[in-house]
Amino acid sequence: MIDPEGIETLCSDMEVDHTDVRILMLAWKMKAEKQGYFILEEWRRGLKALRADTINKLKKALPELEKEVKRPSTFVDFYSYAFRYCLTEEKQKSIDIESICELLDLVLGSQFHAQVNLFIQYLKTQNDYKVINMDQWMGFYRFCNEISFPELSNYDPNLAWPLILDNFVEWLKAKQS
Amino acid sequence: MSSQRKKNFQIEAFKHRVVVDPKYPEKTWKILEHAIHEIYNHNASGLSFEELYRNAYNMVLHKFGEKLYSGLVTTVTSHLSEISKSIEAAQGEVFLEELNRKWADHNKALQMIRDILMYMDRTFIPSTHKTPVHELGLNLWRDVVIHSSKTQTRLRDTLLELVYRERNGEVINRGLMRNVIKMLMDLGCSVYQEDFEQHFLEVSADFYRLESQQFIESCDCGDYLKKAERRLNEEMERVSHYLDTRSLDKITNVVEKEMIESHMHRLVHMENSGLVNMLVNDKYEDSGRMYNLFRRVPAGLSIVRDVMTSYIRDTGKQLVTDPERLRDPVDFVQRLLDLKDKYDQIISLAFGNDKTFQNALNSSFEYFINLNARSPEFISLFVDDKLRKGLRDVSEEDVEVVLDKVMMLFRYLQEKDVFEKYYKQHLAKRLLAGKTVSDDAERSLIVKLKTECGYQFTSKLEGMFTDMKTSQDTMHGFYASHGAELGDNPTLAVQVLTTGSWPTQPSATCNLPAEILGVCEKFRSYYLGTHTGRRLSWQTNMGTADLKATFGKGQKHELNVSTYQMCALMLFNNANRLSYKEIEQATEIPASDLKRCLQSLACVKGKNVLRKEPMSKEIAEDDAFFFNDKFTSKLYKVKIGTVVAQRESEPENQETRQRVEEDRKPQIEAAIVRIMKSRRTLDHNNIVAEVTKQLQARFLPNPVVIKKRIESLIEREFLERDKNDRKMYRYLA
Repeated sequence: MIDPEGIETLCSDMEVDHTDVRILMLAWKMKAEKQGYFILEEWRRGLKALRADTINKLKKALPELEKEVKRPSTFVDFYSYAFRYCLTEEKQKSIDIESICELLDLVLGSQFHAQVNLFIQYLKTQNDYKVINMDQWMGFYRFCNEISFPELSNYDPNLAWPLILDNFVEWLKAKQS
Repeated sequence: MSSQRKKNFQIEAFKHRVVVDPKYPEKTWKILEHAIHEIYNHNASGLSFEELYRNAYNMVLHKFGEKLYSGLVTTVTSHLSEISKSIEAAQGEVFLEELNRKWADHNKALQMIRDILMYMDRTFIPSTHKTPVHELGLNLWRDVVIHSSKTQTRLRDTLLELVYRERNGEVINRGLMRNVIKMLMDLGCSVYQEDFEQHFLEVSADFYRLESQQFIESCDCGDYLKKAERRLNEEMERVSHYLDTRSLDKITNVVEKEMIESHMHRLVHMENSGLVNMLVNDKYEDSGRMYNLFRRVPAGLSIVRDVMTSYIRDTGKQLVTDPERLRDPVDFVQRLLDLKDKYDQIISLAFGNDKTFQNALNSSFEYFINLNARSPEFISLFVDDKLRKGLRDVSEEDVEVVLDKVMMLFRYLQEKDVFEKYYKQHLAKRLLAGKTVSDDAERSLIVKLKTECGYQFTSKLEGMFTDMKTSQDTMHGFYASHGAELGDNPTLAVQVLTTGSWPTQPSATCNLPAEILGVCEKFRSYYLGTHTGRRLSWQTNMGTADLKATFGKGQKHELNVSTYQMCALMLFNNANRLSYKEIEQATEIPASDLKRCLQSLACVKGKNVLRKEPMSKEIAEDDAFFFNDKFTSKLYKVKIGTVVAQRESEPENQETRQRVEEDRKPQIEAAIVRIMKSRRTLDHNNIVAEVTKQLQARFLPNPVVIKKRIESLIEREFLERDKNDRKMYRYLA
């Protein structure tokens, strides 16, 4: 089993920062269950899938991995995995705002820059929610994909959007005027 | 009789020719022609009907029907031409009379002629498809007399002139009119219509257009309507007297259009006399007239109804948002009831109990009653007032009337659950203070609420009544078994309240005075002895006590106080002066309650059994209290307890609101789960609609709150979002 220290060593060997999103992608490929740890089975699974048996090959496989993850069909899976990966406690269902903001930036920041920045801003200023659950997490991704930004012309609060997004849109509209 | 065979009978034609006189037809015709002349010259008495008939008969028989017929046409036509000239020559008034007379003559003549020519009428005419004699006579009259160029227009103008004069108040010869009009009708439907009716309708329209314009400039609404009604009745009477009944609808339509429809809006909105004025001043006759007239025109009633509705809404809205009104809840509700009574009366007396108007009234009430969030509380306070004192000495039927009116207002409430909360609180106070005027009235109202809202709504309320009864029995049992040993102790009256049924109060600390601790403990052990597994906690904020007090000059009074007040007062048996802090420490009553309690004992004129230094209204931490030796009162029994239901202060109101909101959450969730369990999958909008429908008997759920509850249920894995259709939710078994 590789522990957090070991992962850090791995990262420096691959010349990738341990907070880089590609490490998360690697964890996803391995289907790693516990944040900060890779068990042998997971390690083997991941490397086999990437067809890498040396650190160098692993490093070279990273761009390919990135491309794979970014494909729309696989991204949803990765996105929801990212959330689950951060649930450290046994019965935990939600993640605190602070961590969510970081995770959002990491996972969606490059793809939906504007939305993510504003949403993070909103999350930090509002008081209604102290944590985010899976439903809200997934809802935000749908939001980024389906709703025109920054016009928000096709957003309908009477549909089944999570309430937090209704509030976010309201906040945005107030900001815009 | 010979027994020979009978010979066959044979008929043979004449073997010789019958000689017919060639002059026969002409001769015969001349006889008939002469007869027609005589008839038209009023000389018919000298004629022999039988002879003439036979002559006509023979002509037809000998195949001279054609000659007979054409002769008839010619002769009658020439007579009618003369008649036409004489009519044309008639001057002035005489014209119509002459026409009428000649028409009567013609009819009589025609009858006689037809009788004479009956054989031809029945045989020759049908077989040759010619016009029958009578009809021929009418047609000739029509073509020669009526449609003569001079007469046609003159007739029309004369008739219309007469109508015009009659409309302006003159008396005309109605019999004559009737006869002439009937003549036109007899001449054929189209004659009546083309020669008279269509012109009649046209000039009537012009006439009424003009008149209505004049009226509307000079009359107020009520007068105008009276005039319009009069005109309408006039026209109806006119038709019944001398026009064709089929003209009735047509002429009334004209009047309705010109006098009513054209000016509808202006009439309804007329300042100082329009509908609103009529409503405000209960002008039943005028508004009734408006209803009856406007009913006749398209969209007439909707204008009346709409104006009434918006006025009621405005009045109601003003009532419920007026800050002055909101100070006195009982008055507030009474005004609402008065408003409803007023409009019930109007709708019944002036608007014929029209259902659409009733509905408009109901929806208006529903609209503005719910504009004020405190309406449920106020209605409960109104009921409380009635049941505590208002219905004393009122007959049973009148009590029912008042309660039914309250139910009527209750039905309009959207937030029935808020009413329930307050009603429970107020009922509890009434029951515990023993302050209800009539047990029957209380029960009656509960039954009405149950009928309206179902068993669930009232089951807890009924529980409260049961507790009261049970407690009575318990007390009997207590004193029966322990009465002797308790001789000297203060008399105790305990109501044991089942926690679920009564409005929840957080139990606060309070040290009961030593004098009663003994008997309280005895009761507790008695009760728990007979009811195992229960827990009793004294609700010190809801009790009362009667204290006998002796003051400076020996005056004795009985003080009726709350439990808190009792605790404070009893301390003064052992001390003349106590500071606020000392009282607080000894009684351990929560600060805000204690302050209120001391205020009511020391700062209220006529009830100041304690004296406070300094004399300020507010209670401060270092105030000092003294037993007020100098207290006086005209009454022996002095009531100082404050357990009466009152309008809540703002902070209390907020608190109740919050509790109501909290109570609603599980109800909403239960509704969502029920719906999803039966539907399995459903989209968001439909869930909101269904939930609203299910809960509307109790309150109107906020769609945002519903959404939040759905999300909470998703988190707790009762529901999930459909993976393919993002609008749908799915029930998780």
